[in-house]
Amino acid sequence: MEKLLSVKKIVVGNQQVKILRDISFEVKEKEIVSIVGESGCGKSMTLRTIIKLLPKNLEILSGEIYFDRIEIRKYNEMEKIRGKEIGMVFQEPSSYLNPLFTIGNQIEESIKENISKKEKKEKIVNILKEIGLSPNVYYQYPHQLSGGMQQRAMIAMSLINKPKLLLADEPTTALDVTTAFGIINLLKNLISKYGLSIIFVTHDISLARYISDKIIVMYAGMILEKGNADLVYNKPLHPYTQKLITCLPEKYKKGEKIRTIEGEVPSFKNLPIGCPFSPRCEYRQKLCEEKIPEEIEVDNRIVRCIRYGNFMEN
Amino acid sequence: MRRYILNRLFQFIPLLIGMTFISFLIIQISPGDYFTQLKMNPEISPETIENMRKLFGLDKPVIIQYFYWLKNIFSFNLGVSFSYHVPVSFLIKVRLKNTIALSIFSIFLTWIISIPLGIYGAIKDKKIQERILSFFAYIGISLPGFFIAMLVIFFISKTAILPLGGTTSIFYENASNFEKFIDYLKHLLVPGLILTLSGIGSLYRLMKNNFLETLNSPYIFTAYAKGIPTYKIYFKHALRNAINPMITIFGYELSGILSGAGLVEIITGWPGMGRLVLEGVLSFDLYLVMASLLIGGILLILGNLLADILLALTDPRVRLR
Repeated sequence: MEKLLSVKKIVVGNQQVKILRDISFEVKEKEIVSIVGESGCGKSMTLRTIIKLLPKNLEILSGEIYFDRIEIRKYNEMEKIRGKEIGMVFQEPSSYLNPLFTIGNQIEESIKENISKKEKKEKIVNILKEIGLSPNVYYQYPHQLSGGMQQRAMIAMSLINKPKLLLADEPTTALDVTTAFGIINLLKNLISKYGLSIIFVTHDISLARYISDKIIVMYAGMILEKGNADLVYNKPLHPYTQKLITCLPEKYKKGEKIRTIEGEVPSFKNLPIGCPFSPRCEYRQKLCEEKIPEEIEVDNRIVRCIRYGNFMEN
Repeated sequence: MRRYILNRLFQFIPLLIGMTFISFLIIQISPGDYFTQLKMNPEISPETIENMRKLFGLDKPVIIQYFYWLKNIFSFNLGVSFSYHVPVSFLIKVRLKNTIALSIFSIFLTWIISIPLGIYGAIKDKKIQERILSFFAYIGISLPGFFIAMLVIFFISKTAILPLGGTTSIFYENASNFEKFIDYLKHLLVPGLILTLSGIGSLYRLMKNNFLETLNSPYIFTAYAKGIPTYKIYFKHALRNAINPMITIFGYELSGILSGAGLVEIITGWPGMGRLVLEGVLSFDLYLVMASLLIGGILLILGNLLADILLALTDPRVRLR
């Protein structure tokens, strides 16, 4: 399989803070990659970096992003890529759909092909059917749809141009479990049908294992572990990943107390000098607090921890 | 939709009756009436005053007076002015026309200027263009209307580029219809400009803030992520959403047609309702004041109805209800 997207040593931030540090990963064709981590660890920012839609006060400070042989960082016609080559689906469809326009209207304006209005409508109705919505949705406004239907409409909107890559920013977090399951299966089916790759952001590491080929574990703007989904889930190497997995509800016996990870996620304004997880880590050594570990390949995956490798030169 | 409008219009009748009843009561309960002032005059005998009171129906209880007035309203009779001894409708006809012309002219001008400026300010937020605009907006908001009026009048009287005071020039009688219209417009320009200048600032700020807030909405981010050109995001997605709250304000503004221009009318000598109603209030000219309150109430209600209809046209979520 060929590489579709490769992110190399990306740093995002401004003079005061660095939101993303040394982010590198790859997405191959027809691959689902999940990014997991706690709230505010930079998962969504990673997605926004890929389509260069960062908040005004942040910018890409260094690194490279290649998408389909285009260097995104130097590319100036992002309008041609956004929506056409890379689609995006969001967490809360109700606020990410414009309340004043019909679903049909909002899908239609994203069509990049130069075809007649009638053909456009035909195309939209087809994709609505494919995604499991009635063609009537074309004439409906977002507030007339349920959360699950809105999310399906959103997916239809992001797939209308048959993009190569879909960025899914917690698409199921705002939905109830059964609706979410429907959406997940829909996404899985779409991959085989459209031959598309997905970057799937979620809090839920077991959902990530269910849906994806590869898992990336992020913490405080850094990748701590990445590799094959089953491998990372069944045999986590990084202490943070291990903690995350032991906290999962399905790992409890009846009557057992709920486990948590002691401590808090550090704020971006006050990051530890060394390994970002060091204040909460039980294997912490003195050096962990002073230096950031390098990414190292162990056991068919990449992990950033001193227990398996060396520290980075600052 | 038609049923909804009819329904709303129907609800207005009790609303208007309630409103006029309370105003009538408040005017009549306050001590004194038009004839109290006449008592000061030794040349008018107390009997004459009593007779006049009877003539105008002021000797009856307030409630009865109100129902007499209401009955007359339903036969389109606004009553007689105490001080001018002519029917109120005759008195306010021309002045109402002048005031409405002035208000509509200035509201139109204010909106047509401040809405685009607001959008421009929001797009250029925190850049030099926005800072300059906002600086002038602050000045416009902080200066009281009468002060702006004085400045404009001072400027006009120094340069004499526009006529000041009244609605017509000396040659008006002999002019053609078109010349009459132009002459009227020229006279309208000074009070109109003053009202516009004092209104732009706040409306600009409202529009700018609305537009800015809309630009930060998630659905605008979606539009960017869809690869839609920026101008289309501004003028399709953001504009429609940002203009919604403005429509409600527009409805209120319409209700201020009568009262909003009062001060400027008096300062610039524009013969509108302003001075007439002010004098009416000061001299307890009951039916004149009631007529102006009634028209104001009707305008308020119509303005709100218009805003609701416009809102229903632009926002599908309102249409449902």
